[in-house]
Amino acid sequence: MKKEYGALVVGAGIGGIRSALDLAETGLKVALIDARPSLGGILAQLDHQFPSDHCGMCKMLPLTQRDQSSQYCLRKGLFHKNIDIYLHTELSNLEGDPGKFQATLSRRSTFIDSTRCVSCGLCAEVCPARVPSEFNAGLAQRTAVYLPVPHNIPNHYVVDLDNCQRCWRCYEACPTKAIDFKFEQRKDFHIVVATPDEQLAQDFPLWFKDENFPVHPTSSGEDALKLLAEGLDCGLMLLDLDLPQAEAERTLRRALELRPNLAVVLLAAPGKERDKDGGKDKVAAALLKLGAREVLAKPLRQAQAVPWLDKLFMRLVSDESFSIEVGAVILAAGFECYDPAASPGGCADLLLYGSHPGVLTSLEFERLASPTGPSQGLLTRPGDGKPLRRIAWLQCVGSRDVKKNADLCSSFCCMVSIKQALLAKRRSHDEAETTIFYMDMRTNGRDYQRYRDEAENEAGVRFVPARPHTILPGPDGDILVQYFDYAGELREEVFDALVLAVGARPPKSMERLAQAAGIEVNDSGFCATKYLSPNRTSRLGVFAAGAFGEPTDIRGSLIQAGAAAMGASRMIRVYHGPRDETPEAEPEYTDVSRQVPRVLMALCTSCPTLERNVDSELLHQRMATLPGVVKVVDVQRACTREGWEALRQEAELAAPNRVLIGACLPYVHVPRLRELGEALKLNPALMDVVDIHTASFSGRDTSFGGHAACLASCATGAGACDCGEGARTNEMGSLLAMAAAKLLGADPSTLPQATPVSPQALVVGGGLAGMTAAMGIADQGFKVVLVEEAEHLGGQAMNLRYTLEGDDPVRFMEDLVEQVEKNPNIRVLKDSRVVLSRGKAGRFVTVVATGEGMAHTLHHGATILATGGHEAKVYEYGNRVRKCVLTQLELEQRLAAGSVDASSLSGVAMIQCWRSREESRNYCSRVCCQGALKNILMLKKRNPGLPVYVFYRDIMTTGFAEHYYTEARRSGAIFIRYTPDSRPQVDFKDDKPVITALDPVLGAQIELHPDLLVLSSGVEPGDAAEIADLFGVGLTSDGFFQEAESKWRPVDFLKHGIFACGLALGPATMRDSLLSAKAAAQRVVRILSEKQLSCGNVVAEVRDTLCSRCGRCISVCPYGARALDLDRDKIVVDELLCQGCGSCMAACPNSATVLRGFHDEQVMAVIDAALAVQPSAAARL
Amino acid sequence: MKNMHTPIAFTPAPLVFQDEALAEIQSMVRACMQCGTCTASCPNSFAMDLAPRQMWRMLLFGLKQEVLESRTFWLCSSCYSCTLRCPRGLPLTAAMAALKRLAAAEGDAVNRKKALFYQEFMQNVEQNGRIQEMGFMCHYFLAMHDPLLPLEYGPLGLKLLAKGKLHLGDSTQRGRLGPLFAKVRSMEEAS
Repeated sequence: MKKEYGALVVGAGIGGIRSALDLAETGLKVALIDARPSLGGILAQLDHQFPSDHCGMCKMLPLTQRDQSSQYCLRKGLFHKNIDIYLHTELSNLEGDPGKFQATLSRRSTFIDSTRCVSCGLCAEVCPARVPSEFNAGLAQRTAVYLPVPHNIPNHYVVDLDNCQRCWRCYEACPTKAIDFKFEQRKDFHIVVATPDEQLAQDFPLWFKDENFPVHPTSSGEDALKLLAEGLDCGLMLLDLDLPQAEAERTLRRALELRPNLAVVLLAAPGKERDKDGGKDKVAAALLKLGAREVLAKPLRQAQAVPWLDKLFMRLVSDESFSIEVGAVILAAGFECYDPAASPGGCADLLLYGSHPGVLTSLEFERLASPTGPSQGLLTRPGDGKPLRRIAWLQCVGSRDVKKNADLCSSFCCMVSIKQALLAKRRSHDEAETTIFYMDMRTNGRDYQRYRDEAENEAGVRFVPARPHTILPGPDGDILVQYFDYAGELREEVFDALVLAVGARPPKSMERLAQAAGIEVNDSGFCATKYLSPNRTSRLGVFAAGAFGEPTDIRGSLIQAGAAAMGASRMIRVYHGPRDETPEAEPEYTDVSRQVPRVLMALCTSCPTLERNVDSELLHQRMATLPGVVKVVDVQRACTREGWEALRQEAELAAPNRVLIGACLPYVHVPRLRELGEALKLNPALMDVVDIHTASFSGRDTSFGGHAACLASCATGAGACDCGEGARTNEMGSLLAMAAAKLLGADPSTLPQATPVSPQALVVGGGLAGMTAAMGIADQGFKVVLVEEAEHLGGQAMNLRYTLEGDDPVRFMEDLVEQVEKNPNIRVLKDSRVVLSRGKAGRFVTVVATGEGMAHTLHHGATILATGGHEAKVYEYGNRVRKCVLTQLELEQRLAAGSVDASSLSGVAMIQCWRSREESRNYCSRVCCQGALKNILMLKKRNPGLPVYVFYRDIMTTGFAEHYYTEARRSGAIFIRYTPDSRPQVDFKDDKPVITALDPVLGAQIELHPDLLVLSSGVEPGDAAEIADLFGVGLTSDGFFQEAESKWRPVDFLKHGIFACGLALGPATMRDSLLSAKAAAQRVVRILSEKQLSCGNVVAEVRDTLCSRCGRCISVCPYGARALDLDRDKIVVDELLCQGCGSCMAACPNSATVLRGFHDEQVMAVIDAALAVQPSAAARL
Repeated sequence: MKNMHTPIAFTPAPLVFQDEALAEIQSMVRACMQCGTCTASCPNSFAMDLAPRQMWRMLLFGLKQEVLESRTFWLCSSCYSCTLRCPRGLPLTAAMAALKRLAAAEGDAVNRKKALFYQEFMQNVEQNGRIQEMGFMCHYFLAMHDPLLPLEYGPLGLKLLAKGKLHLGDSTQRGRLGPLFAKVRSMEEAS
């Protein structure tokens, strides 16, 4: 039967993971696929992320009901009970309509049985092939059988068949027989060859004799078809195009009728013959359309044909294609880094990329700086190992370049380069000199400008506004960089390394994916989205997440992914109606806290290695003597249904209150433990699975073949090393004893009462973000109360008249207001303010006062704060005093209203970043550059000859907005850079502005006499201090809301259940606000879709009698779960917020704070068990 | 329309955006983002008085006089490096050539003199069907009215002569390119 899922997420990078988690947490089943053999996308290769310069990916993991998913490093793996992950899998077809799509997925085989592979690395050791490693960005080599990511869990080897040399040494070396090259099936794989070429017909059977393929040469299509009709179970047909065209075509059609799954490969000679009649190509193309698989070039030679056909056979019998039914699809296929060596249009030759070892891409530098990289994190030059002390970064390689079809800004490279420069400084103990060559430093996030300022002023990173063109090999393997500085001097500098900040390109498979999913792509090759519906693709029910729709950084990707999840979730609920109101019954567990611990230990004996390498009798004896262990049983094949059933029966007989299972692959058993728990009425927290398989097999080092030699000698029985049977039995004994000790000490008391959820949301702020969020929640069937301070809905976005992309924001806002007011699930309270709020996630009580003096008491489960912002008020330069000085917003409104006539103007000057990006408003407002560009283009449209001069510091047109920057320049506007040290001076003469400024390109003062001076004043947050105080959430120094984590939890507050979006969260365009609002709405739906919220098994508790109220634990808690309750004089822990990280336990000087499941005694007992002298080992000594 | 800006360091420019000939060249380089790739790529930039980037900028500011007074565009040897490398894809070499034409047509005596080399070159080609170095240089010296000029070129001429790079008269191709030039002229007149 076809599997059914709520949603299909294509791409398992961080965007895909975020979307999948957002949906899975609300109870939808999600299929998460990725074409790569590993999870995590590009982030698996990156170790450090700005601004914290740490990873932090795990912060994406669910905070509530967290026992449903894995709770460890997300870079290593992801397990969630509602997410099925298919790797090495691509979407090959998508049919149907929203709510009921039929998705066809094709999975490429890795040829390694993941249930058998123990990642010993013996296969890689014997593999003779060497190809550049993708994981290390080509800086190191890998074998053809390899680990895609060295730190994954589970981490299984995969075979890269394309680079396989078919020596089969890995197959022979594999001790668990995990590698399957389908040797057995070859003799049943019949190959029919239809060729008039007699020589070929003769050669073929001989060539494939060694491979055991039965070959049936025939001289015509008729004969071939006859064989098929006679019932020959043929796997492959080779069809020679030297047969008459009609015959070839008929044979193909008929063969596919007889065997729809038959692979037909055409044989055609390329070259002259083709040129002569041009017919073969056409014929081949026509036949390919009819269903032929591919074309093989004649003449065939044994050395090529045999491996080719053998690999084709392995693909045919190993790869699989399957269909699933999904309600909605999210595309999160991410992006590809620009490859300077790519042709055509690459710039490798000019930049010495590939020919000089010191020229690296930013991804390569990232790998170089990574401890798991080729140099173990030492910053040394790949070629000669010279420590990197003078490093330059070159921005915009492959971005902002119309010649490379990249009229776009990749958005993340500027910040990445600053981060890398800081990293280089830190790694070299401040010895490294770092220089960033840039055109515009795009620090357009809320906190990014300060990050740059710190890098420049405190860390000493040098920023040079120039685009070096000439890169030459320098002395001693160094690199000579020549550039023209702004003063017009030609400068030469020598560097140890040059890092090319490569930009984003659409994923390589974009064309295929777009075709399979039926979506449109834009001019740059990315997924086409509309400005005012940025999470949607051109096909209804298919959404774009992450950087798939527009290049963006991690924060942007996650917000976009959240918005896509919201869209998908809404779509699924719209088409499927409200979700089945039969939630899974909460399992009830017997309270065993007053019982003596009785441990049942079950050992899986299915794996042959276990029997061979372990003295199981001795193990049994030893385990039975452990304290608390009542019974040790053997279970055959615990991984199967039957095995598990046997285990259950044993457990029912023994009636234990702790269960310890020794098996392989612990993560596979997690969902089963839950089932077993239900059957035994025993809390799964009192059960554990220990991996004894790996231990049984390879001793200690399981990561990368370290033990292989030793193992080989043991396997032959010749070795006298310490990994023999006795040692392995000991190790396994230790592992089991440790786990038993841990279980013995586990706290069996029941969890705190779950909080019931009030199924209603409160949205504070009725602007674009607030209304969008309210709609997002209401559309999914939950009640929303929308509180707006003003008398009308709409907020700031009502002031906009047109957008850069040519949308009509007025109409959009009118529609949105109407929809909100008519929505039966939304209750709008205008002219109202929140006066009081109490409670926690799931259960807030808030009092709202209306203008008429009424007070409403609301019970709600979650809250969104979207209090917005406004255009900053600037009173300088004659603004608000003189008619000839306007802000960008005023100009937009007057142009729309017609009160400014572009044709009567003789000149317009604009000043960007006016009082922005310097203290006290040291952030980029994001909207001003785009606002200026849209006004320029409007002015130029109405009066093409109008001189427009723009004074700017850095133009921040990230993503596709870059295109409009190019357009503005092309239309004739002149952009003049200024620095905070040399600002343009404004005077007034005859009531007209006179601007004097330095043009850095000319190195001369210029004086302008425009009619209009337009100031980009930027945005400021609304006064949110009171709201922040009421809800107990934080503000940044600029007055924006402080989210929990700027990258990984971009719309969450530290306080659970409260979310922020729109302008109040940080400067945002309409698109940004829409996205963050939708992402926040999905976070709210996540809480509301739960009947009650319960905490995890591992949470912190405080022993009040020991606590000195020093408060250290409060400041170290990364989740803000702890607070000092002054009334009760106690440290209190919010169980929902506490994620059991243990920071508080480490910080507490009195051991007053304890972690459930990690008590001191328990941990000590585990250590004791690990160190205990093993009886057998002692005997041997 | 009144000119709105007065660069202090330069003499006031003529009316911006009204000079059609200039506007055409301006439109070629409008999308310039002053990255300086052209300047860095230019093999002759060391000898230029204005860096190409500065010259484009002045052109956009409408400082026609200042641009025409510079020798930058005359020094362009049409190697097309800048055009090839400009990230904005601007036709910079074509803009340089357009400036040469503009200077020859509208420029002062100095510019007209600089254009003489090109004029004599083309005339020689038209006449002989290919360049004949000796005749070309003789005509050029005469046109320049500078008796010292031949002496300046003397050493170079001897060197070229020694290597057999200077061709004496050869009339085999004479007039062969006449129709081509006539066609171009008629096309120019028509446009």
